Amino acid sequence: MSHDTQEVSSNDVHARGPLLLLLGSGLVWLVISGVLALIASVQLHTPTFLASCAWFTYGHVQALQETAFVYGWLANAGLALGLWVLTRLGGEALRAGNWVTVGGLFWNLGVTLALVGIMAGDATGHSLLQLPRYVQPLLLIAYGAIAVAGVLAWSGRRSETSYASQWYVFAALFLFPWLFSVAQVALFVLPMRGVMQAITAGWFAQGVFTLWLAPLALAAAYYVVPKVTGRVLPAYQFASLAFWVLIVVGAWTGGRHLIGGPVPAWISSLAIVACSLLVFHYLVVWLNLKGALGHGGAVMKFTSFGLLAYVIGGCADAFTSIRSFTVVTQFTYFTQAQQQLALYGGVSMLFFGALYFAVPRLTGKTWASAALIGGHATTAILGVLLLVISLGVAGWTQGQALLKPAVTFPEIAAATRPWLLLASAAYTVLLLGNLMLVVNFLQTLVAKPTASAATLFQATSDIKETA
Amino acid sequence: MKNGTLFFFGLFASLTLSFAVVLLANHQLGALTPYFDDGEGKAFPDRMPGVAARGQLVYRDLGCASCHTQQVRRPGFGADQTRGWGERQSVARDYIFQAFPQLGTMRIGPDLTNSAGRKPSALDAEDLMNLLYSGQGAMPAHAFLFNQVKVTGEIPAKALKLTGSAAPAAGYAIVPSEQAQTLVAYLLNLNTVYDYPESRPVVLAAAHAEGAHQ
Repeated sequence: MSHDTQEVSSNDVHARGPLLLLLGSGLVWLVISGVLALIASVQLHTPTFLASCAWFTYGHVQALQETAFVYGWLANAGLALGLWVLTRLGGEALRAGNWVTVGGLFWNLGVTLALVGIMAGDATGHSLLQLPRYVQPLLLIAYGAIAVAGVLAWSGRRSETSYASQWYVFAALFLFPWLFSVAQVALFVLPMRGVMQAITAGWFAQGVFTLWLAPLALAAAYYVVPKVTGRVLPAYQFASLAFWVLIVVGAWTGGRHLIGGPVPAWISSLAIVACSLLVFHYLVVWLNLKGALGHGGAVMKFTSFGLLAYVIGGCADAFTSIRSFTVVTQFTYFTQAQQQLALYGGVSMLFFGALYFAVPRLTGKTWASAALIGGHATTAILGVLLLVISLGVAGWTQGQALLKPAVTFPEIAAATRPWLLLASAAYTVLLLGNLMLVVNFLQTLVAKPTASAATLFQATSDIKETA
Repeated sequence: MKNGTLFFFGLFASLTLSFAVVLLANHQLGALTPYFDDGEGKAFPDRMPGVAARGQLVYRDLGCASCHTQQVRRPGFGADQTRGWGERQSVARDYIFQAFPQLGTMRIGPDLTNSAGRKPSALDAEDLMNLLYSGQGAMPAHAFLFNQVKVTGEIPAKALKLTGSAAPAAGYAIVPSEQAQTLVAYLLNLNTVYDYPESRPVVLAAAHAEGAHQ
C-alpha cells in the first residue's frame, strides 16, 4: 500500500482550520524571506543594489530575511506541525483551536510589525533576536495563546506513557517563552552592561535553535519516520538520553561565537565542551531515524535530507568550535553557511517533509500536483547544497585571506565574488522551489474533496502500531 | 516518561542551569569598574560624548555591525594586530560605558574598534563623510544620509568637497544630515587608548619569574 494515500482521522477535522492558517501564513513568510534573502545576497556582490534606499541597507535586509524566515516561516510551520503531532499522539481532538487561530493572527501581525520596524531602523542588532523591542511582548502573548492548545493536548493525552515526539514538542512549547521573556528582560527592560549583552544574546540565539526549532523539527521527524517506513525505530531506548542531552547542554553552546572575543576564556571553553557533548545527541538521533534514508516518496526525501543536514551540521559545529578552526572561520561567510545548513538544511527540510505528510491528512485531499512536489524536492535539495557549499567556500577563502595582512578588503571581495554569485543563484533556486510549494498548497486547498478521501475517513492508526 | 510533573521540572531546571552560566558571567563582568591610573591621574575608559553616543544609535539602526566587528582578538589569534586594528586585544572593560556594544559577527569590512586611532594616520571627518557618501569597494554608498541643497549665496560650511562624477549639479551642494554627523562623530570616537592590566598578553616566562604557580 502506498503510504501517501489518505489516512484521515476525525480528530484532524477539528485541527484543520487553525493549523492550516498557521501553515499557510508560514508559507507566505517563506516566500517573503526568500525574496529578502536574495536581495541581501545580491547586495554582497553588487553593493550598489538598492543602496540609495535607507530601508534596504544590507544590515536591514539581512535582519529582515532572518526574522521573516525564523519568526515567520519556521515558527508558524513548527507550531502547526508540533500541535498536530501532539494532538494525534494524544489521541484526542485539538482543543482550544480558537486560541490557536487568534494567537496565530496576532503572531503574524507581530511579525509584520517587526519587519516594518526593522526597515525603519529599529532592529536590536542581536542575531536571531532582531525583533524591535516594542513587538516582543505582543509576540510573547500570541505565542502563549497558541501554546494553550499544546498544553491541553499534552495534559489530556489518553496514554500515560509518552513518545519522543511528545517530549520534543512539549519542551519546545514551554522553553521558548522562558528563553524569550528572560532575554527581553536581560537585554531591553533592565539591560545588562557591556559585553554581557553579547553573552546573553548568544545564549538566546543558541537556545532558539537547540531548544525551540530543533526540538520541533525532531518531533516531526520522530513522528513521520516510523509512520512512513512502518518499522520500529532502532535504538529507541536511547532516545530519552538524546533528548536530555540536547535540553541540558544545548543552550551552553552560545559562547562559541565569542571565541577570542572580549569575554573571559571560560565562556568560550565551556561552549566548546558543550558542542562536543552534543555530538552524542546527534549520534542517537542518527541511529534512531536513519531508516528514513533510501525510502521512496517526497516525505522521506525531505526528511532524510533534513536528518543528514541536522547531524552533519551539528558535528560541523563541534569541529569548527575548536580554536584552530575558529581562527579561520570566525567572522566569515562560513558561519552563514553553518547557520543555513542548520536552519534551512536541517530544520526547514524536516518541516517540509512533515508538511507533505500532514497537509493531505488535515485537508482530507491528496496533493494537487505530484510534479510540483517533485520539483520542490529537487530544487530544495539542490538549492541547499549549492548554498551551503558556495557560502562555505566563500567563507574559507575570506578567512584565509583575513589571516594575511597584505590582502586588502577589495581583494577579498574580488576573491569571494564568484562564490557569492553562486550563493545568489542558490537563493533563486530555493525561491523557485518554495513558489512551487505555495502553488501546490493553494491548489490543494481550493480543490474539491476527492471521493476516495471521504471513504478513508477513519480512525487514525496509533503510533504504537509503528513505533 | 510517565511523570509529567517531574518532566516539567526537569525542563525548567535545565534551562535555569544554562542561564546560571550567563549569571555567573554577569557576576564576573557585570560590576566592572573603570580602571584608575595613578600615573595619569584619571580613570579609563572615558565615557562617550553625547553626540558619539547618539552616533552609536545610528550605527546600530543602519546595521553597520552586519559587516564590521568591534572586537580585536589577541596577538597570535588571527591577524588583527598586523592589520593595524589595535595593538592590544579588546577586553570587557572597553565596553562598560557603551549602551549598545556593537561587537559584530562578520568582517566583510575592517574591524572598527580602534578606527580613530589607526597609525600612521586614521581617516578624518572629511574622509569618513566622503566614504559614507560615495562608498568604496564592497562598502555601499550611503547617499541617503546626505541632503542636496540649493546654494544661495555662500556654500554651506559642512558641504562635501566633491569632484568629478560625484559632484552635484552647479548651484547645489551636498550636506550631511544630522544622522551622518552623529555617525561620523561616533566613528571618530572609536579609539582604545589605554592599556589595561588584563589586556596585556600573558608572557609565561615573565609570569614564572614573578613567582606564579608557587
